[in-house]
Amino acid sequence: MRPLGFSTGALAYGDFRCALRILAETDATAVELSALRQSELGPLVASLKELDLSQYAHISVHLPSAIEPDFESALLTLAREIPSEWLLVTHPDIIRSWRAWESLGSRVCIENMDKRKEVGQTARHLRRVFGQLPDATFCFDIGHAHQVDPTMGEAVLILEEFQDKLCQLHISEVNSESKHDPISLEAAMAFEVVATLIPENVPAILESKIPRGIDPVAQVTSEMELVDHLLSIPVEVVGD
Amino acid sequence: METKRDKNPAQETWEYTAVNESDNLDLFMGLSEPRPLIKLADSLGHEWRHLRKAGQEADKAIDELNKLLSVEVGKNFASEDANLVVFGSLARKEWIDYVSDLDWTYLVDGQARSEHLEVSQKIKAALPKDSRPPQGAHSRRRQDREYRFGEPGQTGTFGNLGFSQQLIHQIGGQDDTNKNTSQRILLLLESTPVGMRSAHERVARAIIKRYLDEEPHLLVRDGSRFKVPRFLLNDVVRFWRTMAVDFASKQRDRGGDGWGLRNAKLRMSRKLIFVSGLLTCFSCHLDPRLQAKISTGNRDIKLAHLENHIWEYVQQTPLDIVALSITKHEVERQTAVQLFSAYDKFLEVMADREKRQRLKDLRAEQSRTDPVFLEIREASDQFAGALHQIFFNNKVFSSLTEKYGVF
Repeated sequence: MRPLGFSTGALAYGDFRCALRILAETDATAVELSALRQSELGPLVASLKELDLSQYAHISVHLPSAIEPDFESALLTLAREIPSEWLLVTHPDIIRSWRAWESLGSRVCIENMDKRKEVGQTARHLRRVFGQLPDATFCFDIGHAHQVDPTMGEAVLILEEFQDKLCQLHISEVNSESKHDPISLEAAMAFEVVATLIPENVPAILESKIPRGIDPVAQVTSEMELVDHLLSIPVEVVGD
Repeated sequence: METKRDKNPAQETWEYTAVNESDNLDLFMGLSEPRPLIKLADSLGHEWRHLRKAGQEADKAIDELNKLLSVEVGKNFASEDANLVVFGSLARKEWIDYVSDLDWTYLVDGQARSEHLEVSQKIKAALPKDSRPPQGAHSRRRQDREYRFGEPGQTGTFGNLGFSQQLIHQIGGQDDTNKNTSQRILLLLESTPVGMRSAHERVARAIIKRYLDEEPHLLVRDGSRFKVPRFLLNDVVRFWRTMAVDFASKQRDRGGDGWGLRNAKLRMSRKLIFVSGLLTCFSCHLDPRLQAKISTGNRDIKLAHLENHIWEYVQQTPLDIVALSITKHEVERQTAVQLFSAYDKFLEVMADREKRQRLKDLRAEQSRTDPVFLEIREASDQFAGALHQIFFNNKVFSSLTEKYGVF
């Protein structure tokens, strides 16, 4: 059974407590605690012991997506205060001191990037990253891969090469301005292309933006049901 | 599930050593490998001086074009959704500085915005700013200046905005104009982005997928190999024949002006594009790495493998595609030397300003006696002879040529 849940940043930007309150009313079994801005990481780490996360079989922390160069050392210190069984989802372009990150071993979970970043979108780039961090794990962001290459050809390359490192999925639609949207039919069809390459027990974290004014619990439940369906469609092998 | 994570618990000790950003980016940017052409030249012990020089000048020109536009148009002259794409000799790495024309398109793949036209106009206005005093018999002179990035040809195919929609969706049918066909095939076979590259890659991949989507079967009947993608192959062939027919049409329209230069290009560089397209299509059936992936996945996954293979091929220049094919399929050494030596000679003539100008001024009726044109004809005969060896006498390629190349 695949653990399935949401990113707190997608549910309530900059307010993980609010997001956790919404998720507590759903059947989510996975959560990603989001600290996308540098300033959010310290407060998140400081409050970890107070949070009730007992409903989740899978927990990860999304480290800041951009940092000041001199914050890297502090970030790594904070990361070590996070429970060691949680993944640390990381954008490869924030890493400068590869050796220091390597010591975090498999907890460093490298995410493939969207088209705004200079690096990290392709299998070729990721090969370089994992060459530097051989023990690091992999978070496959389907929305980023679809935005970079809507044919999903690059996604197939990435998944085939790094399947044994795959420890988490990010699922959403990423629009042309690199914002996360609810999943469209076109994106859903693209996800189906790679569904067969994703082991059924890899946790999936949704990043779909929940529109304001709509019951968030109902919206979260609906998006999770859609993703559960997309990732569990039996493969029909027709022709070649 | 046992994962990589379970096998490698984090270490307890660590130290932090700051590094600068440029070191970090080098990790990603230093990805280039030697070109197949250069590897082949080295393995055969041939210099092919003009081929090497044109490649080096192309790399330098692309770098300096990027800098010029960053200054003149602004850093955002290219974005994630709109890229400057160059074609022709610059993309083929056959660039001759201050002599070759610059064929370019501002390719939009995303939300259409009025600013795109403005950027494309600014690019057009910025290109003449890299210029110098005239230095020889042939030059693109205007008011006693010689331009590094000369204006594209007169057909209107380049030098303006281009949109992904028509390139991807109008393949064949009444609306697929000469211009659209040319832009589409050249985008695949001889284009490269300057600055950001994401739109270029998305569009190229989408075009490849569009061709493959129309194939009812991706594999041969016994499932042992990928088929040669006929839809793509037929469009490559159509493009080549269109270029040949247009050559005659331009001869009429322009009253014979520029006949010698156009004829030389048709015999060599235009033919090379066609050859690289054929070899790319044939490689789908021949490449052992690609065939090894057949056993996995459904049609979507197989199609993705085929698309990735073609994309990997067409990111290389036509010369490199030919060099790669020669290397992979053990074409005779003598044939390889003949082919690239002939092309090296062609570039030597193209880079000679006096000879180039003479070709430009040459009319068809003078072609049998003109010494410069005879040099070109000798080189093109050698080139054609080597191609004949590859496509009709090499046991790997000849059966495919017979099956797909004619009927």
